[in-house]
Amino acid sequence: MSSGGHQPRGDADVFAVDEEIGRDLARVDWAATSLGPPADWPQSLQTAVRILLSSRFPMWMAWGPQLTFFCNAAYRRDTLGRKYPWALGRPASEVWAEIWDDIGPRIDTVLNTGQATWDDALLLFLERAGYREETYHTFSYSPLRNDTGGLVGMLCVVREDTDRVIGERRMATLRDLGSDPSVVRTEQEMLAFAARQLDRNRRDLPFTLTYLFSDDGHARLAAATGFTAAHPAAAATLSPADPEALWPTAKLLEGESARVPLDGDRFAGLPTGDWPKAPTEALLVPLRQQGVVPYGFLVAGVNHYRALDDGYRGFIELAAGHVATGIASARSYQAQQRRAEELAELDRAKTTFFSNISHEFRTPLTLIMGPLDELRLRLHDAEQPVQEELEVIRRNGLRLGKLVNSLLDFSRIEAGRMQARYEPVDLAAATVDLASVFRSAIERAGLTFEVDCPPLAEPVHLDRGMWEKVVLNLLSNALKFTFHGAIRVTLRAEDGQAVVRIADTGVGVPEDEMPRLFERFHRIENSRSRSNEGSGIGLALVKELVGLHGGTITADSAPGEGTTFTIRLPFGTAHLPAVALAPAVTGTAVVSASAEPFVQEALRWLPAIIGPVTAVDHDQPVEDGHLRRGVPARVLVADDNADMREYLIRLLRNAGHRVDAVADGQEALELARAETPDLVVSDVMMPRLDGLRLVAALRADPRTAGTPVLLLSARAGQEASIEGLEAGADDYLVKPFSAAELLARVRANVELARLRSHHARWRTALVDSLQEAFFVCAEDGSVVEVNAAFTDILGYGPEDLRNGPVQPWWPDPDIEPEAHRQVTEAFEVLLRQSHGSYTAPVTHRDGHRLWVAATFNQVDDPDTGRRMIVGTFRDVTAEHYAVQRESALAALSMRLSQAEDLTDALHGVLAELRRLWRAAGVLAAVFDGAHAPVLTATDPELRWDALAEQQRRDLTALRDKPLLTPVAGHTGGAGITVEHPHGTMAIWIDLGEKRPFTEQDQTLLALLAGHLSQGLHRVHQIDQQRETALALQRAILGPAQLPTGFAVRYAPATRPLKVGGDWYDTVELPDGRIGIVVGDCVGHGLQAATVMGQLRSACRALLLQDSSPAQTLTALDRFAALLPGAACATVFCGVLDLLTGELRYSSAGHPPAVIAHPDGTVHLLDQGRSRPLAVRPGLDRPEADCVVPARATLLLYTDGLVERRRQPLSVGIANAAAAIQTGRAAPIESLASDVMDQMAPDGGYDDDVALLLYRHPGPLELEFPAESTHLAPVRSALRNWLDRCGLAPANAYNVLVAAGEACANAIEHGNHDSSGGRILLRAAATADDLRLSVTDTGRWRTPQPAANSHRGRGLVLMQALMDTITVTAGTAGTTVDMQARITR
Amino acid sequence: MTTALSLANSRRPDGTRVLTVIGEIDMSNAATFAAALTDAVDTDFEAVDAGHLVVDLTAVEYLDSAGLAALFPHAERIQLVVTPLLEPLLTISGLADLTTVHRP
Repeated sequence: MSSGGHQPRGDADVFAVDEEIGRDLARVDWAATSLGPPADWPQSLQTAVRILLSSRFPMWMAWGPQLTFFCNAAYRRDTLGRKYPWALGRPASEVWAEIWDDIGPRIDTVLNTGQATWDDALLLFLERAGYREETYHTFSYSPLRNDTGGLVGMLCVVREDTDRVIGERRMATLRDLGSDPSVVRTEQEMLAFAARQLDRNRRDLPFTLTYLFSDDGHARLAAATGFTAAHPAAAATLSPADPEALWPTAKLLEGESARVPLDGDRFAGLPTGDWPKAPTEALLVPLRQQGVVPYGFLVAGVNHYRALDDGYRGFIELAAGHVATGIASARSYQAQQRRAEELAELDRAKTTFFSNISHEFRTPLTLIMGPLDELRLRLHDAEQPVQEELEVIRRNGLRLGKLVNSLLDFSRIEAGRMQARYEPVDLAAATVDLASVFRSAIERAGLTFEVDCPPLAEPVHLDRGMWEKVVLNLLSNALKFTFHGAIRVTLRAEDGQAVVRIADTGVGVPEDEMPRLFERFHRIENSRSRSNEGSGIGLALVKELVGLHGGTITADSAPGEGTTFTIRLPFGTAHLPAVALAPAVTGTAVVSASAEPFVQEALRWLPAIIGPVTAVDHDQPVEDGHLRRGVPARVLVADDNADMREYLIRLLRNAGHRVDAVADGQEALELARAETPDLVVSDVMMPRLDGLRLVAALRADPRTAGTPVLLLSARAGQEASIEGLEAGADDYLVKPFSAAELLARVRANVELARLRSHHARWRTALVDSLQEAFFVCAEDGSVVEVNAAFTDILGYGPEDLRNGPVQPWWPDPDIEPEAHRQVTEAFEVLLRQSHGSYTAPVTHRDGHRLWVAATFNQVDDPDTGRRMIVGTFRDVTAEHYAVQRESALAALSMRLSQAEDLTDALHGVLAELRRLWRAAGVLAAVFDGAHAPVLTATDPELRWDALAEQQRRDLTALRDKPLLTPVAGHTGGAGITVEHPHGTMAIWIDLGEKRPFTEQDQTLLALLAGHLSQGLHRVHQIDQQRETALALQRAILGPAQLPTGFAVRYAPATRPLKVGGDWYDTVELPDGRIGIVVGDCVGHGLQAATVMGQLRSACRALLLQDSSPAQTLTALDRFAALLPGAACATVFCGVLDLLTGELRYSSAGHPPAVIAHPDGTVHLLDQGRSRPLAVRPGLDRPEADCVVPARATLLLYTDGLVERRRQPLSVGIANAAAAIQTGRAAPIESLASDVMDQMAPDGGYDDDVALLLYRHPGPLELEFPAESTHLAPVRSALRNWLDRCGLAPANAYNVLVAAGEACANAIEHGNHDSSGGRILLRAAATADDLRLSVTDTGRWRTPQPAANSHRGRGLVLMQALMDTITVTAGTAGTTVDMQARITR
Repeated sequence: MTTALSLANSRRPDGTRVLTVIGEIDMSNAATFAAALTDAVDTDFEAVDAGHLVVDLTAVEYLDSAGLAALFPHAERIQLVVTPLLEPLLTISGLADLTTVHRP
């Protein structure tokens, strides 16, 4: 209801808030719906539609008896699908017929209880895209009320969660598929594991079949999920040639996917998964392997309730990819396992074999060669053919002996039993001597032989025997592969080492063979050489021997140009075991006999020597195809020794790797950070940053933490290697090392890193496919990794991450200190706790506000051992604002419901708005048209006139804006206009400086304003209803022409303000007695008041008919039984004789009346009690008699006076009795007020209260003409009253005389000053005293004892007889008040 | 209506004259009472010694300053018979000091 002639406005533009939806809503034939044309819509409906349309959150609402459907643009976009615009204006049960079983009961609950509902990710099957679709929604239904507060509809705020729920489900499956690599041992185990994981998601994968191809192209069923019994679709084998086969095997064999419709009998009865209906389609995806035919294929039944979209397809392909990876991994694992076992066995057998066989060969060889030499001497003059044959035997015997010796050396080296004896040797001389052995053979081959070995400054410690083998092997090798040019031996001292180079201009070594040059038993195939002889053992032995000297050997070669072997031997003895050192032996520069076999062998290769080509070499190189397939790696070499660096570069380049080399750890670190290598090979001892510190620095940086590092060190021993590994190195190699060993380690580490990076790539793919944002934080809070969803949600990618905790998405501390504080606190939680979750505000790259809910865990990085924080979060902005909205609405509703009236409501609401926005202040100006605007503000002192001129103008301007449309001001604040019952109200929220009022704020304000408008109207209506009811109640109860001596009170309940059904009544009966009644009807409000009025009238009529209280109540029983709402009313009914104080009473379930005696005792009238009204109509009721003694006080009341929570009724009654007893000396009217005040609880009465007091006898009140003839009857009446007051005769006589004197005075004045004057005598008693007053209409003359001595004497008498006398003279008359204590 | 008052003159066996007053004396009939009193005092003024008129107020239920005003002029020539109810009044007004008051 509005006043002041104000009319609601804006009916016509109800749809104008949203152009698009509004247009379609306007097209609906509303007149045909139960809502009628929009022009007739109530204010509340218009408000609701405006709020709906203006919101950017998806919402729909249902209004009216048919729950007519409305929705906004966001809902249409997210959820409604093809039902738009058909759904607008239709009954909600028709729009959502397919889910009405789910949502109908919820809507009923809302409409019946007014309680909002909340559902999180509820599964609903919608038909909005042409099929029944599995969808998930998080939504709340809130009640909508009409203009009178009745429940007429509901508002649904919804967020569709389908993508999230399904995405999480699929993600869980993919995560589970990769969860436990330890189970991947065999293919069978792996398939069983994968099947278990696939089977756990029967929503996306109602069934799956995993087929693997056999070599013959047939597909064999390897795993199945979802099936509980045999089914034709799960055939055990499939033939690619079979045109009748259920699954298109041939197509999959070619690596293509296929979609197969599942119709026809063959597919009847397929598993349905978690759904009621089976899939109608299957997706077949090959289990791909690199470059060759797939391992097999995966058949996945497609969820009946989801379309096979890109996401679904991608999920199945990822799952299949995981199965394929698992198969690859299992097969590779098995192959490796098998080979490793075979190799180990082979190696063991070989070593044992050679060790044994070498010894066994030597004995017969000795026994061959010894006799042969004897035989040659003896037959030196024998025939040429005999000699030649002996020579053949000898040469081959020598060769065999050399071979056996080499093998034996190897066995010794491997078994660690090589007995070396290092003595200081003049390396130049020793080398020249050895070279000279070969000179003739080389020159005979037509090659130039250059030996350039200047003496060195210091000797080199050598085992002469071993050194011979080194040089002779290399020279023999050079001769073997060189057809033109030269062989050159040089010796230099370089970098503190003796460097021997043996270079040739031979065929050279192909680049791809270089890495294996020094491998045992490895021979270079198809290479042009002087001989096919060779065991593939020479260079390997050389390398081992050089290694025993603490030296290194490297080879440089270019095909067609030649090869150079470089041997580097350290000076001194530090690199040699002390026990193997020996003093120099003089005159030992003699080449031992072991040189001869080399020369002999070499001479055999030369054409000048005729000899049979023997010994076809059957040694086969070990084919290690698996390892050789490795893709070249990027290797970073760090070594301060240039030769070593060069050597490593050469070695690794020759092995096909890309190599970068630097001279120290610092450079290595910088380079590694700039471009992460696949492997770092680093020396330990380096300037600037040594190898160990380099490892630590690499591990500390997340970018390089996973890069493998191979440390090289000259320091042998377990401790050194442990130190290196502890520093985080992946491998450790002690110098000297063989090229082969280094390359093997490099290869192993690169493979490992590749495997790791494969895992890393899989992990990245997994993390990126998470729909939740994913992040990894370092200990200091620096974010080091994020996924794609992170970027989607926040707009910031990995390139935007900053070091340190403060990230670009943190709210600006200056502009939004509160948001900044929240995110800071959340961040502390993140760093402090081992796991947890938080919700915090963040700022999107484009500046808009987001709320995210994050969950995190601290984990230890297995690579670095450092504590990291891994977390995910999702965008809960919509939920956040929904919760904020709900709680703000609840707070607002609370304020409105607690309000006592409109003003109170508005104050409460403004305070709430201020709290909500932490505003500096909130103003509301109501423009009622007639007067100056009425201002209400959070500052209670503020008045319209006190506002600044600009503020007044702003508020006035705001008034003219459209209703419920937030207006953000440019000075830090926002306003909105709503309808107030008294006119348009402009609300202004003053945010203070520099605070933005965001879009969400505006939406919230609009929503609150809508509720506020309705709420204020409701409060206003309740106000009016309450006033009406109170007026009605008072009209019914009063103005009672109360007999004297009575006081009555009625108070409505204060909160919530309610009038009720309590009443009091007094009825003057024909016999002069008075009926007194106090009653209490059940319930509150207008209806209870109406029932009360009827009961009261009935009771009154019945008392007049029959003055028995019991009979009156019995008759009232019958009446109440017929009157709806009257049953169970309680009534105390009494009939009182005012002269004698005799009281007959009966109580219908009512609390007992109380009598307070003048002596201070109290007495409860607890007799004559029986049931409340109409409980057992027809049964008699008891009654009881008592006497109200002189100057006693009688109290009748309703339970509102005494009933308190958590307190027995008897306590309340005792309190009331005490209050009466305490106030027994007070006049009856003031006693009534005192009792009502004293008994009221702190917050006021929460039930209404009726109260009736009587003090016996009632006051005397006599009015008579101011004539002396009236004195005698007045006196008689007064005497009689005093007698009823129980006064002693002397006491009474004094009062009588004093009153008489006062009256006599009054008569004299009345006579003198005016004619027809009247006198009023009043007398009242309390427990202890009497009060009398005599009032006339004249003015007293000044006492003139001389002229009229007895008049003066009268005053003296009055003063003497009474305790106090007060004379009040006025223009209208004079009053004498007298008071006398009552003596007992 | 005038307040009920009856006045009777009589003589005791010892010859003392007695004015017996029955009823109430207030301003409405004080003049009557005063006249009767004066009459009784004056009638026998010569024959009677001062104080020989006994005014018997035993049956007077009410007497106020109007009645006292009638008694005061004759205080030296009358004796009063009053119930304890009236005694305070005589004491307060000072009449008891001027005349002899007897209990009935």
